Amino acid sequence: AAPTNILSALGTIAPHRCYGHGVEMTRHMLNERVLLVLRLFDKINPDKLTLESQFAKDLGLDSLDHVELIMAVEDEFGFEIPDQDAERLRSPEDIVQYLCDKLDVFD
Amino acid sequence: KLQSSISDPMTSPPPQLRSQVIALYKNLLYMGRDYPKGYAYFRDRLKSVFLKNSGVKDPDQIKVLIGRGEFVIKELEALYMLRKYRALKHRYYEKDEATTSATTSSSDKEAPTKTQ
Repeated sequence: AAPTNILSALGTIAPHRCYGHGVEMTRHMLNERVLLVLRLFDKINPDKLTLESQFAKDLGLDSLDHVELIMAVEDEFGFEIPDQDAERLRSPEDIVQYLCDKLDVFD
Repeated sequence: KLQSSISDPMTSPPPQLRSQVIALYKNLLYMGRDYPKGYAYFRDRLKSVFLKNSGVKDPDQIKVLIGRGEFVIKELEALYMLRKYRALKHRYYEKDEATTSATTSSSDKEAPTKTQ
């Protein structure tokens, strides 16, 4: 069955085979996906959300909300993020950079 | 069911206890996805219970509270296993008076007709 994350729900440009290589990911696409996941998160005010906004300082999330947020990112991208990595991800920019490292996106 | 109190040691010294608590919260959230009354209900109550104990600083007490949280996880596992058992039983077998009374007790609060 196809993965039920936002990317497949919106429809991809290239034909998507379940066991194929997957869609070519760019940093811009990662930004969009991460920001969309965060905007859909109910504890975040979408008006205050930018790439640089800090979860704790600017968006007023506590550490428990942070856990839930990282779970939402895990669901979207389909792999688990260990807790010690997760606690270093303090802004959307950190998350995008982490995903670039993990998914080998270089630009 | 969520009467157990867990702590979030935001200011207490041992960092490994903090990461244990965070891991416990994460596991409870995963378990809460299948909760009969809904994920949002479970999450809100879980969060309020954790926040209520966020001031606890004594490491021994924190460990006790973590133990309670793990007990809640075991209870949820048992709940889900029982629900699956009942769902399959309901689907494949004729309703039998003897076994119905054996598997439902007076303290059961979950509706046995929920099939998930």
